[in-house]
Amino acid sequence: MISRETIASAMYEATRLAATNLPPDVEAALVAALAEETEPLARAHLKESLENARRAAGGDGLVCADTGFPLFFVTAGSHARVEGGFGALQDAAREATARATADSFLRPTMVDPLTRANPGDNLGPGMPKVELRFVGEGDGLEIIAAPKGGGSEIFGTSYRMMYPADGEAGVLKFVIDAIRDGCYAGKICPPAIVGVGIGGTADLCMKLAKEAALLRTVRRAHPDPRVAEIERRLYAAARALGIGPMGAAGVNAVLAVHVETAMTHTAALPVAVNAQCLVGRRWRAIIASDGQVRFTGELP
Amino acid sequence: MTEAIRHLELPLSEAQARDLRLGEVVTVSGLVFTGRSRFHIRAVEQDLLPPIDFAALNCFFHVGPVMRETPGGWEVVSIEPTSSIRFERYGGAVVRKLGLRTLIGKTTMGPGTARALAEVGAVHLSKIGVCGNLLRPQVRRVVEVHFLEELGRTEATWVFEVERFGPFFVDMDACGGNYFADQDARGRERLVSVYEELGIPADFTYTEVNP
Repeated sequence: MISRETIASAMYEATRLAATNLPPDVEAALVAALAEETEPLARAHLKESLENARRAAGGDGLVCADTGFPLFFVTAGSHARVEGGFGALQDAAREATARATADSFLRPTMVDPLTRANPGDNLGPGMPKVELRFVGEGDGLEIIAAPKGGGSEIFGTSYRMMYPADGEAGVLKFVIDAIRDGCYAGKICPPAIVGVGIGGTADLCMKLAKEAALLRTVRRAHPDPRVAEIERRLYAAARALGIGPMGAAGVNAVLAVHVETAMTHTAALPVAVNAQCLVGRRWRAIIASDGQVRFTGELP
Repeated sequence: MTEAIRHLELPLSEAQARDLRLGEVVTVSGLVFTGRSRFHIRAVEQDLLPPIDFAALNCFFHVGPVMRETPGGWEVVSIEPTSSIRFERYGGAVVRKLGLRTLIGKTTMGPGTARALAEVGAVHLSKIGVCGNLLRPQVRRVVEVHFLEELGRTEATWVFEVERFGPFFVDMDACGGNYFADQDARGRERLVSVYEELGIPADFTYTEVNP
């Protein structure tokens, strides 16, 4: 039995670590991008960002001050048992979010969409957002805290319901146009990790795009070779746009393009894009059934 | 981009602003005030402005700082410039109304603000990298805060005294020029071959289902 207290404290700690550290795969990709860029402004954007993150890891500030939307992705083994039942996850996420906000690891950013009132603790209807899924026969829990910055979510989200006649050309055009628009003037904070969803319903399509951007190791190819080939072509195309870090002239508009697919209606071809910014903020807590918790910036 | 950094004292004179070139890298020293969407909307729609002498304090920093309240007063935790382009609807009106000389933010602004900058003699400076922790120690003093109760810490107007604050680069000059618009025009030419490489016909259109 995993206690509610263990979950709340693991969510807090994963949030704190996400807010103050670059995940190792993201940092390595940024270092590789810096080695590749030649334009002074493109290089300056990456150098400043890496130095800024080093300070955060050293206890001075945050990897980025826009800590954005408090998101938690929970994967449970089907034999996992949670004190108070799985409904306790939402309470634990609220407690962790409020505490991380009070301790200045999250900026109080969530407001009511109509009145724009800010409660100051990032709590309210829908937030924090907890996604729960069950995978495998295990008895543990894995939690990824991914506070999602505004720039990438606000300027890096696109959806279109296309039709079979629009075909592969339609999909590729939609994605590359979304990348170009999002990168203009550095809106999504490039080099971005671009998630693409193809198929499903409208909401599933966007969920695929978001999870492709947030929950995959940077540039690890999709296991399906047909999907991996689309990723490879879009990645190459994004690098040919002439757009680099923060929209400056350069090569690295993206760190990666990740594509996920789902079955869809025979009449439909939905496509969604969701971008993650260059700091790729996320950290993972692995909770065993005895309550032992391990934290890592690496994804499964 | 020039390698040399130009260190500017605030408030800028009109002549100083008009002398700045696209791509030039600068720091600023002096007083800045902060604001985001709520500042713009309230300033234009409701004529609600903080009690600031804008003739003397005319550097508008687009940011929602992360602040911490301590027994010794307010401290900046991190201060990351936010996207100015979101304020484009009100950008020109605010520049004219307050006689702003310097805007600092992330991304850039559009043609309406560009016209106002050229008219007034003002520039927009864009951030270099993710830099909130690097900028923080350059904030020497939290001078005052306005509208904290009504707007909260993120949208409130903070007045900071800054020293060698930056570096930033001039993305919009006082002649209507825009670094990113120039960059985008060059990118548009490349797009033709990018589409071709992806097998997207030059005359491709999405299936239209509406009249």
